[in-house]
Amino acid sequence: MRGQDDRQAYDRGTSLFSPDGRLYQVEYAREAVRRGGASVGVRATDGVVLAAERRIRSPLLEPRSIEKLHKIDEHNGVASAGHVADARQLVEEARQTAQIERLSYDQPISPEQLTSEISEHIQEFTQAGHTRPFGAALLVGGYVDGRPQLFETDPSGTSYEWQAIAIGGSSDEIESTLETEYDPEVNTDEAAELAVSVLLDDEDDSMDAENVSVAVIDEDGFRTLDRDAVEALV
Amino acid sequence: MQSNDGSETQIQKTGTTTVGLVTADGVVLAADRRASLGGKFVSNKQAIKIEQVHPSAAVTMSGSVGGAQSFIRQLRSTANLYEARRGEQMGMDALAQTAGRLLRGTRSMPVLGGVDESGPRIFSIDPAGGVTEAPYTASGSGMQLAIGVLEGRFEEGLSMDEGATVAAKAVESATERDTASGNGITVARITSENVMIDSYTESTEVA
Repeated sequence: MRGQDDRQAYDRGTSLFSPDGRLYQVEYAREAVRRGGASVGVRATDGVVLAAERRIRSPLLEPRSIEKLHKIDEHNGVASAGHVADARQLVEEARQTAQIERLSYDQPISPEQLTSEISEHIQEFTQAGHTRPFGAALLVGGYVDGRPQLFETDPSGTSYEWQAIAIGGSSDEIESTLETEYDPEVNTDEAAELAVSVLLDDEDDSMDAENVSVAVIDEDGFRTLDRDAVEALV
Repeated sequence: MQSNDGSETQIQKTGTTTVGLVTADGVVLAADRRASLGGKFVSNKQAIKIEQVHPSAAVTMSGSVGGAQSFIRQLRSTANLYEARRGEQMGMDALAQTAGRLLRGTRSMPVLGGVDESGPRIFSIDPAGGVTEAPYTASGSGMQLAIGVLEGRFEEGLSMDEGATVAAKAVESATERDTASGNGITVARITSENVMIDSYTESTEVA
């Protein structure tokens, strides 16, 4: 019982450590990310593929309005998982960061630098008072200077670079599939097939092309695939 | 500028002739060594008007000395922070863009020269923040005299030493007739590896 009291005392503010050094609010935010649909990123030799699961809760819903893949700049994109509204806030931050890079240095921002700056922004919300952490994680994919790169950043503001990664609901299962099936020599077409298959594979058979959105970032920039193109990957 | 008692105060200016040009091996910047008060009194006979701002880039100073020194400190710290944060050096386009932003509203017109992955590059930066790239350029009160020499002697594919001689000759010619320029020549040789800054009495000593 006393343990529970402690926990309630230490998870009130985001800036409070528990006696064993944990930040409960940040851990809860990570949990929030796990409750949503999954998003997947796969790095290919000629670009990066981002894919997201779309949970269509009613046949009346326009699938188009589910926003999980976002263009950030010409050659950078983001896939989100977790609270959509929180993710959109981060996407706006990312877009501004990308434009500031162009204004300051006359160059496109690298996915690495973009992730680093978004992560700094996320981290500030785990340390400041009167605020809560972002309940969203992002995959940042980009193709700058001939180099495809894929990063993940989570609600604590920690970032990692990946060859292939899943965030959101059932990301553990998807990741173990990716670990066995990922081949670093794939091109973006093959990477897109893999991304779609791991997303659809994971759920029950009720999922089809309508339930997945796919974006490719390569030499030509960021583009989302239309329904027919996704259908062809299934 | 007006001082408190209403009299004109003299701001130390570089007067100046500075030039920059690209060569096959890198970039050359050159400048005279005279600092003056309003172009009328020689306040310093051994000024070094070229400063390194980046491992493979430097700028020349012209206009007010205080403005130029402050600009150089800011540009250098921006390049250092960029490298520290990202683990890679700033490219010349990024450096030129930053120089233009920092210079806006000042009274300086430096030449920026450096080498990056895209090769040797020279930029003129103007006090309104304008950034223009050129294979050779001049700046300062003696610029019209210097540019005449560059027009005659510059060619593509010069070696570093040939380029250094042409640049020094351009500065030297300007010091002959521009009263605000003189007292010898400073030459910077910039490669992708480093920046070497040396001073000479005459252009014949350069190479």
